[in-house]
Amino acid sequence: MKTRNGSAPSTSSRPIRVPSGRRGDRKHTPKAQHQGLYQRAIRESFVKLNPRVAVRNPVMFVVWLGTLITLLVTIDPNLFGTVQADIGQQRLLNGIITCILFFTVLFANFAEAVAEGRGKAQADALRSTRSDMIARKLLPDGKIQEVNSTELRRGDQVKVIAGDMIPADGEVIQGIGSVDESAITGESAPVLKQPGTDIASSVTGGTRLLSDELIVRITSDPGQGFIDRMIALVEGAERTKTPNEIALTVLLAVLTQVFLIVVATTPSLSGYIAGFLGNMAGAAAGDRLRTGTSIAILISLLVALIPTTIGGLLSAIGIAGMDRVAQFNVIATSGRAVEACGDVNTLVLDKTGTITLGNRLADEFIPVNGHSIQKVADVCLAASVFDETPEGRSIVQLAQKLGASVDLEGKSTEGIEFSARTRMSGTDLDGKEYRKGAVDAIKGFVRSRGGQVPVTLDEAYEHVSRLGGTPLAVCQGHEIYGVIYLKDIVKPGLRERFDQLRRMGVKTIMLTGDNRITASVIAKEAGVDDFIAEATPEDKIDVIRSEQAQGKLVAMTGDGTNDAPALAQANVGLAMNSGTQAAKEAANMVDLDSDPTKLIDLVTIGKQLLITRGALTTFSVANDIAKYFAIIPTIFAAAGIGALNIMGLKSAQSAIVSALIYNALIIPVLIPLALRGVQFRPLTADQLLQRNILIYGLGGIIAPFIAIKVIDSILPLS
Amino acid sequence: MKLNSLKSSLLLLQTVSQSLEAILVFGSEWRRQKLPLYLFLALCLNLFVAPIVYAASGNEFSRTQAWALGLLGLGTLALSIYLFFVMFVPEKF
Repeated sequence: MKTRNGSAPSTSSRPIRVPSGRRGDRKHTPKAQHQGLYQRAIRESFVKLNPRVAVRNPVMFVVWLGTLITLLVTIDPNLFGTVQADIGQQRLLNGIITCILFFTVLFANFAEAVAEGRGKAQADALRSTRSDMIARKLLPDGKIQEVNSTELRRGDQVKVIAGDMIPADGEVIQGIGSVDESAITGESAPVLKQPGTDIASSVTGGTRLLSDELIVRITSDPGQGFIDRMIALVEGAERTKTPNEIALTVLLAVLTQVFLIVVATTPSLSGYIAGFLGNMAGAAAGDRLRTGTSIAILISLLVALIPTTIGGLLSAIGIAGMDRVAQFNVIATSGRAVEACGDVNTLVLDKTGTITLGNRLADEFIPVNGHSIQKVADVCLAASVFDETPEGRSIVQLAQKLGASVDLEGKSTEGIEFSARTRMSGTDLDGKEYRKGAVDAIKGFVRSRGGQVPVTLDEAYEHVSRLGGTPLAVCQGHEIYGVIYLKDIVKPGLRERFDQLRRMGVKTIMLTGDNRITASVIAKEAGVDDFIAEATPEDKIDVIRSEQAQGKLVAMTGDGTNDAPALAQANVGLAMNSGTQAAKEAANMVDLDSDPTKLIDLVTIGKQLLITRGALTTFSVANDIAKYFAIIPTIFAAAGIGALNIMGLKSAQSAIVSALIYNALIIPVLIPLALRGVQFRPLTADQLLQRNILIYGLGGIIAPFIAIKVIDSILPLS
Repeated sequence: MKLNSLKSSLLLLQTVSQSLEAILVFGSEWRRQKLPLYLFLALCLNLFVAPIVYAASGNEFSRTQAWALGLLGLGTLALSIYLFFVMFVPEKF
């Protein structure tokens, strides 16, 4: 029976771990070469001046066109009308405006190029590990033939000795050795590889064997290996706009359109007012107003009013979000997936490996039915002798520690593997059936053999469950001997992470195959919001569908083929690198470290991406107020609105140039923030909105007032 | 005599086919390179707009200035249409 329950939310307020926190402190070797990144970005920012590329960013394209027109009026200041002022001075002003607008476009291109360059560097770093090498292929007669790694096919066996690169993806079938996987994971600590387990037996082409020798069975054909797939993923992650980016693009286009109409109609209005002023206060006043609305100044006004800051940084923020995910050793198939992480409402988490440490270890044997602990240890050892899982090995170790032994010499033996259907494993030894597994499964097995279930079994089962451990019953034939207490350890710091998520409105659901009592103890200890006990892998997809039916976005992790449908169904599916190909293809993210806890980090990265975009949009729009007060009163001073020049700027020319310089410089100043992201804080949506408005809204109003005034004071224009 | 006339016909055919080929290449290039086509169309349209600007402004602008202003007006209109296009099909940008 599946059980769903809720546990009391915690109110802990201990220090939080953010993406740049503990995991960031792990010693990672740099994967991507960032040398020459800025030189390439500078080159790319000129390449992006190509109109076909420029047209893809509406706001910056308007600035680009403005630059062309101001260049024309620099060459011929009388092109669009006879200049009333000194032509040399007008040409100088137009030239300055052209340069500033050109640099505004260039800075925006640079921001995008830097962000793109990081992703390309990652693909290049992966590609550098994929090189042809000589492999020692094992022939059927046992001889070794040296062949090029590209000639290896699925099913071939190769011998790898210490110092060699592993020629292709494969599975260790003989030997134990430590492998340096830093080329793909960035983790400098070597990983022990040995046959018999899913994760520890799989090796990746391009990694290096550091010690001993391994016999590896190749599992992929040339061009189909892990690194090839990862390069395809990184390079194939084309920049398709995410829903949020599309919404923001529309907003920016609307604002630009509105200001374009305002500026385009300004000459008619100012002409009318100039005529009126000419009649009232003399021709000189009217001419001063007409001079104030020259084409170059109108373009400056347009550029100052449209949201160039967010227009220039929008792509960079999105690309940097993907890059931050990549820095966490996660490959995202699209920016949409990264952004979806920020909108997630529900996290579906496996207990084992995600909430608790992956390896449950046998802690105690509890005899039932009057058997001695020695006898229970003997049966446990016999039932686990072929079990290569960490749990199985820990049972063997505990049994041997208690003096148990098993004699396999000359006896017929067969190992029975664990399956999700039978929920037990064991050994057939000399006609006797030794089994261990879920208590219900063992009860069924014993009854099917005509045995009785002792009352003390349920007592031992409940005792272990109440301790938060996993109880495994052990039997021989029709007789139950005892219960194995597998101890589960909740990962440290998780409770605080779940508290953070709860404050952000993200619900956590734990899925476990354990019984209800164990699940409730672990759920309470970890601080998850809800749990589903005695769940099968198929239950994942049911949970996801029911949450999605309530309009929620769901994230989950998985590694098995049976997880693939759920990974595809979830809004954010994170597959483990150690998982099956089906799982990796169904998911929209792949974790190279195979750490399911990383899903929590991804949610914070996604939220950080959305917060950054919101904060910079607020800042960019708020900037308009100061720019408006800098330019409008000075160019229309003749119309009697000079009193609105509250900043006391020297002249119209100085005000325009100051506002434009600020407009251009704020883009490179904000590039680090766009790439790094606004500092993440686990707050509710309302609190985040208030904080954003206070810091980036108010800051966006005050900062340009100060900056424009300072630039105006420095400029030698009068 | 007949041979000469045949030769000249063949030469004419060759010239016509080469010209057609050149026009096709030119046409396909125009289909591929939209920007020169749009600029050309804008210049053509300005032949109608510039005289209107010139007439409307009295003696304020010279012919060249009226022509430049007409083109600037068309450019502004095109920019406005482009921004509307961005609003309705934002995923393309």
